[in-house]
Amino acid sequence: MASYSFQAENVQICVIMVGLPARGKSLIAQKIVRYLTWLSIRAKCFNVGNYRRLETAHPTAEFFDVNNSEGERLRKLAAEAAIRDMFRWFDQEQGVVGILDATNTTKTRRNWILDLCRKRNVEPMFVESWCDDEDLIMQNIMDVKTTSPDYVGQDPEKAALDFRNRIRNYEKVYETISERDLTYVKLINVGSQVIINRIQSYLESRIVYYLMNLHIKPRCIWLSRHGESAFNLSGKIGGDSDLSERGREYARQLPRLVKMSVGDRPLTVWTSTLKRTQQTAKYLPYRQLTWKALDELDAGQCDGLTYEEIENRYPDDFAARDENKYEYRYPGGESYRDVVVRLEPIIMELERQENIMIVTHQAVLRCIYAYFMNVPQDQSPWMEVPLHTLIQLEPKAYGTEVIRIKADIPAVSTYREKGQSAKIKK
Amino acid sequence: MLSLSSDSSRSPSRSPSPSPSISSEDRDRPQSPMRPMPISASSSLSPPGLSTFHADLATSPITGGFVSHLSPSSYTSQLRTQSAGSKYLRRQSSSVDEDAIHDTLSPTHVSPAQLYSTESGRLFHAGKICIVLVGLPARGKTHLAVSLTRYLRWLGVKTHAFHLGDYRRVHLTPGMDVPDDYFLVNASPSTVILRQRVMAACKADVYRFFEKDRGQVAIYDAVNPTSAGRRVLVKEFSQRGIQTLFIESICDKPEIIEANVRSVKISSPDYIGWDEKEAIMHYLKRISDKIPHYETLDEPEFSYIKLYNAGERILLNNSRVGYLPNRIVFYLMNLHIKSGCVYFARAGKATELRPRYKSDPHLRDEGRTYARILTDTLLEHRRSEHTARNANGDNSPERELIVWTSTRRRTIETAIEFQKRGFSCRQRPQLSQMHPGSCDGLSREEIEEQFPGEVELHKKDPYRHRFPRAESYHDLAVRLEPVILEMERIPNDILIIAHVSVLRVLYGYLMACLPSDIPELDFERNEIVEIVPSAYNNKVKRIKIYGVEESNTL
Repeated sequence: MASYSFQAENVQICVIMVGLPARGKSLIAQKIVRYLTWLSIRAKCFNVGNYRRLETAHPTAEFFDVNNSEGERLRKLAAEAAIRDMFRWFDQEQGVVGILDATNTTKTRRNWILDLCRKRNVEPMFVESWCDDEDLIMQNIMDVKTTSPDYVGQDPEKAALDFRNRIRNYEKVYETISERDLTYVKLINVGSQVIINRIQSYLESRIVYYLMNLHIKPRCIWLSRHGESAFNLSGKIGGDSDLSERGREYARQLPRLVKMSVGDRPLTVWTSTLKRTQQTAKYLPYRQLTWKALDELDAGQCDGLTYEEIENRYPDDFAARDENKYEYRYPGGESYRDVVVRLEPIIMELERQENIMIVTHQAVLRCIYAYFMNVPQDQSPWMEVPLHTLIQLEPKAYGTEVIRIKADIPAVSTYREKGQSAKIKK
Repeated sequence: MLSLSSDSSRSPSRSPSPSPSISSEDRDRPQSPMRPMPISASSSLSPPGLSTFHADLATSPITGGFVSHLSPSSYTSQLRTQSAGSKYLRRQSSSVDEDAIHDTLSPTHVSPAQLYSTESGRLFHAGKICIVLVGLPARGKTHLAVSLTRYLRWLGVKTHAFHLGDYRRVHLTPGMDVPDDYFLVNASPSTVILRQRVMAACKADVYRFFEKDRGQVAIYDAVNPTSAGRRVLVKEFSQRGIQTLFIESICDKPEIIEANVRSVKISSPDYIGWDEKEAIMHYLKRISDKIPHYETLDEPEFSYIKLYNAGERILLNNSRVGYLPNRIVFYLMNLHIKSGCVYFARAGKATELRPRYKSDPHLRDEGRTYARILTDTLLEHRRSEHTARNANGDNSPERELIVWTSTRRRTIETAIEFQKRGFSCRQRPQLSQMHPGSCDGLSREEIEEQFPGEVELHKKDPYRHRFPRAESYHDLAVRLEPVILEMERIPNDILIIAHVSVLRVLYGYLMACLPSDIPELDFERNEIVEIVPSAYNNKVKRIKIYGVEESNTL
């Protein structure tokens, strides 16, 4: 099997988050995990707070006072537990990028982690989120912390107050990263200033580039398949066919559907280079761009055949695909993994942009959806993404909200379950 | 970015220029009257496609070299020396064996990896941007300008570098050195006038680039030592609707500065016969005498990138100027002090005469023999180069070779010999050949029969045209970008075994080819193409593989 492009032999990176509470560390950590996982790079986040919560479920601000020796001891234990788990994950589960999500605000704490990493031959990379924009911080506090498990059942006002006191305790001992020989990225005020120090590898530069492109402006992404095509009707895969009558109806209805959802917000529409997506988008009154990378998964020798024909002509292939749909590559064609590789610039561009609508194909849509919804590899190729449905994604603090808007236009189902050829349901 | 070893000793055809009007500290790059000619002797036997390019070289008005590199600025010299007929010199035809990075682009130029064209010719809705370099001499600014230009042009951003030093040289009379007070704030009136004339000439060209030629990014390569001076620039540019992005190159490691001085500055006639260490010290002292006040970038309202020690540390300030600074920083993170060579080789012949994409055939016996000979030839070549370097006093260790292939069988099988001998081989799906779509396995006649008119359309725009369901060279270029960046980062020497379509695109990046040249580039099976990066341009060499017939079949 082809080895994935990033993986240098046996590189293991520990990303160590640094920053006061309510600086977006966990959000950044989870986005990194999501991005790398989507690229098939084994990544996992180890949140020290979660370990601490096992012992101390509802601490007050005093718990975090540096002079509180009992608090200190318990917090150190939590950190040790998290790190132990992380190294176990590196060793036993072939982890590549582990993220230690904690404040790590003092030099002593960071040096301690550094030592542990170096002993285990894991490359340490610090990511510091530094913010002094009061509005951003307050927003973060309100959004997240008051719904955090630490404050469950408490009055939000009191929770916010207590949380601010907690932050103050951290502030007393905060030492921003300044050691020149460390590998680190410092994001200041959500990227208005970025300091990048001693990047050691292509993978690290890729992570840094990803972080630089993130923004926290609210926006939505709309996904849709093309309208029903002539090939869909006959059960054939691939090809570059035109829309069917019902598909054309969807194209006509689409502007209305989109307008209801988008309202007056500015929008750009991205389609593939195949006719059926362009025909679907042609009535949309927004700027349109075509991307080759959005073309459907190439079925190679099976292009233009129905699933029944494939099963008859290439029974071994048909079975192999069911075995591992993500990795299986059509002879002369592509696999889901290949599609992900070619979609990566699209995803990067999506992170930078604001409101975008993508009109694309079944496999490609599954991959994009899997990125935003963190769907694992063994499930994403089997997701149901019906025709004539507009999917609205709204990325939020700790996850993405999904709304499916169905156009009431019947279409065949191109969904095939394992072991079956596609049944045409009209 | 900064050469740590003296590359000039390697290329036999480069000679230091005896140009009299230059004072060595102003030279940010070596002055040679001619671009080094392609080293391979076989260029005279080059296939029909290429020979016309060489013919143009001979008739070029200025001693057979490429205009832009010669005298002062690409713009002014071209406009002055151009024959009466055309008002604008652009590269009519290129020698694809010469790095085209210093050439000017035509107003309607569209780049190899350009994602989409806009009416204004400007991409990413970023408008016009001037990248102003800041930094003392010998900090690698010019090299930075060249590398950035290569990458940005590749992305489709119409970029051109303007080196102030070139303009200065035009305005100095031969034999005249730069006045001692040239960089001082309170200079004498005659110096001030000189300075203003030089700056005006350079700025005029910059504005012409933006306004007449629909340029998008101009890189202004000068010292720019004072904050006041920089503010003036920002104001002036902003009045013309040009945004400013500063990139400062800072070195606080003496070894890097010295290495730079050694490889670039002291090869001038001024220092002939000097002891190397003394020459370096002397040069550095001249710098500090002439530029006593240098103010590092500190203005919080400016958008800037500070590059420390050639990429060890990068600081990005106020990057809300948009997409480009992020892209530039990503590139800078991967730009290495010294990249290794890149070798291009084709895969061996396959079992099918006209290999079809869908069938992904294996190598035939002849192909397997080719793989063995290829391996032997390349390794022998590397050994002899290494010996030659040692003989010249260059004791740098041989870089490790790694091999990249696509996931197609015949490329993997061609690399088998390397793998057997312990070289690291990696398969990359991005290196797969250009997808032939519905034309898979068809001959020209068959294509014409099944898809009438497509062949005609293809002839009109071979770079961008897609046959039905196929990819174009442009799609390939976009697809190959991660490979290109990784190539920049990896310090090893890399052998790429891939289909000729992929080799063309990668070569096109390294040699800054025009899109129209890329589909015509030649890669014979009996040659390994070697590209050696050097400070200001990349150099090509073709290594003959004996025992393999010269054939251009698929």
